[in-house]
Amino acid sequence: MSDNKLVVGVFAIVLCISHNAFADAEKGRAVFAQCAGCHMVGEGAQARFGPALNNMVGQPAAGVAGYDYSQAFKQLSKDGLVWSDAELDAFLKAPMQYASGTKMAYPGLSAEEDRKNVIAYLATFTATDQPAEQVVDRKETENTIEQSNQSRPLARDAILPEHGVLHLGRIALPEEIAAWDIDVRPDGMGLPEGSGSVETGGELYDAQCAVCHGVFGEGEGRWPILAGGHDTLEDERPEKTIGSYWPYLSTVYDYVHRAMPFGNARSLSHDDVYAITAYLLYLNDIVDEDFQLSRSNFLSVRLPNEDNFYFDDRENEENYVLSAEPCMTDCIEGQARVTRRARVLDVTPDGD
Amino acid sequence: MFKNGTDNRRAFLKKSLAIGGAAGTTMLASGAGADTPDPLITEIQDWNRYLGEGVDSRPYGMPSPFEGDVVRRDVAWLTADAKASVNFTPLHKLEGIITPNGLCFERHHGGIAQISPEDHRIMINGLVDNPLVFTMEDLKRFPRHSEFYFLECAANTGMEWRGAQLNGCQFTHGMVHNVMYTGVKLKDLLAEAGVKPSGKWVLPEGADASHMTRSIPMEKALEDCMVAFAMNGEALRAEQGYPVRLVVPGWEGNMWVKWLRRLEVGDQPWHHREETSKYTDLLGDGRSRRFTWTMDVKSVITSPSPQAPINHGRGRTVITGLAWSGFGKIDRVDVSIDGGRNWHTARLDGPSLSKSLHRFYHEFDWDGSELFLQSRAIDEQRHVQKTKNALRKIRGENSIYHNNAIQTWHVKPDGLVENVEIS
Repeated sequence: MSDNKLVVGVFAIVLCISHNAFADAEKGRAVFAQCAGCHMVGEGAQARFGPALNNMVGQPAAGVAGYDYSQAFKQLSKDGLVWSDAELDAFLKAPMQYASGTKMAYPGLSAEEDRKNVIAYLATFTATDQPAEQVVDRKETENTIEQSNQSRPLARDAILPEHGVLHLGRIALPEEIAAWDIDVRPDGMGLPEGSGSVETGGELYDAQCAVCHGVFGEGEGRWPILAGGHDTLEDERPEKTIGSYWPYLSTVYDYVHRAMPFGNARSLSHDDVYAITAYLLYLNDIVDEDFQLSRSNFLSVRLPNEDNFYFDDRENEENYVLSAEPCMTDCIEGQARVTRRARVLDVTPDGD
Repeated sequence: MFKNGTDNRRAFLKKSLAIGGAAGTTMLASGAGADTPDPLITEIQDWNRYLGEGVDSRPYGMPSPFEGDVVRRDVAWLTADAKASVNFTPLHKLEGIITPNGLCFERHHGGIAQISPEDHRIMINGLVDNPLVFTMEDLKRFPRHSEFYFLECAANTGMEWRGAQLNGCQFTHGMVHNVMYTGVKLKDLLAEAGVKPSGKWVLPEGADASHMTRSIPMEKALEDCMVAFAMNGEALRAEQGYPVRLVVPGWEGNMWVKWLRRLEVGDQPWHHREETSKYTDLLGDGRSRRFTWTMDVKSVITSPSPQAPINHGRGRTVITGLAWSGFGKIDRVDVSIDGGRNWHTARLDGPSLSKSLHRFYHEFDWDGSELFLQSRAIDEQRHVQKTKNALRKIRGENSIYHNNAIQTWHVKPDGLVENVEIS
């Protein structure tokens, strides 16, 4: 465990020295840490799970000798693909879409800056003028430890915390707790100061939510339906929306704040979240269009389905627990007859 | 094994791979005697002569290339986006009780977070004497424990409530896996912070973009919950919450928060999204159960099954499957080949551990006539699986979650297998 820290320490020094000259590439080095499990770079780099990545720009696809590429990349090579900054960027954004069937089981770097930096980092490896970078080379790690033994702090000088039973961890600071403790409960615990109107919420919703949830909260495709569905819970196809199903409004505030918009979580201000919550109430016909939601009136809003939830009572079901030995012979009269078949629906995905 | 030797065998393997071992394979009778010598025996094969790869050709070993069809699979139409979706464990291809790490089904709500252990922090706050922050190094200085537990999604088999729908136990029952977790006890972490007497609930929270949260009663947190950093002897896989996840033995998988970064102690449940709008069980009368945490007793025959047809014709036949219960150990499994008319107590094989998968076998001589295969598990507290019709009669068809009904596979005279419901 401490070995890792030492290696990081050594890297950190290198990083400080060269930071100004290779700002992007150095950030790219950090990004590359997640690639280094499979790819080597620098002198002496060899194939691991993935090919070595020296001299990438200008190199034809599937161009590293001795690496057994996927059919996908063999085909791209036949098609004449030559790596450029732009092609690398497109590939790294969504590898499995770019080269369907690639062995690189990696979802992609969604941040453009990360992609630019890691491409800049790769550009620093032009064959022979770089030392080998073997992030998990055992020998190098061992050498590092030997050399740095002199500067290791002595174990007896470590400061033991006073708290707790085993004296592990440290006291969390109030700013740290405030940064992470964002949960909201039905009794209002956790609600921040703020407010927002249906009108503002509508603008935010149209811009940030409607693409998935639909303009009226009806849900696009398989995305969740947020509005409507009143009196459908006993139907063959119930619609479980905020208005028809969710028991507490605090859940809406908490969830929108912690996880929405999908792919850009924690980007909404408290006022934004109050406004969107107000608009969702409006879409569900629970408030009027001139409604303004705030911390002070939050608890006055109740959702219609709150009383229809009750604690798990499966244990009271008939035959949930055996009262006698189960039947073993001649339990049902007559032969079994098929009443429904899966293949009639034919929704099983094909094997691949 | 195959009458016509190499060509047939290769064609068969190719075909099986192409269609994922599902329907379409021709029945190949075995034991009929050979007309001509088998070239696989009489001719020297490439692998008999030439050298294979040396050590270190794969620093991290991978399955044989002939096992390429043993993979997790998804059902694309189920969810809107792969980053908030699920795939399924290939149960029909697995043996014993342990799920290999790379085959454990995945469920994400905001994609797979990639977090360096050096950047990860775990906070305990709320109703405690000392709110604390731990690094991963701190965490590993608590007493470590290793335990086998199954993890089952509450929605496993959820697509089958309204009728037989998916042809394969991978899809009907594949949202379950079973690994040995290594980690520290949640009660030890909580003791380090000092839970106040008013602290009755714990809220675990993930560090990923979904910031997953669930309310867990303190009694369970202190009973057997773990904060785990390893599975099957190696670090957690990224898709299973690397560097650290919560383990809530026997309870629904959604509560096993991945990428665990925070544990808040409170005096009430939080009623967050995953315990109100989701993971509540809508019954036939329009009312809903909440906090249905325990995974019921359940079993399924994994072979034969639609993806694992019988290719050998009549004669000695092995039925095998898995059984599990969130209440403890499996006491016994009964198997029926005639759709529940008559039952035979199956042979439990391998370790029998609490809240862990159990492997069962039933061997018999198949006469080649059609079969209706079922399995019925009973756990140590005498909970028992019901038929689908009995369960629907009580709960309706809109529950989505906690479908532990008896599964029926229809084996036809040609050995192909189909997911059916029967009278």
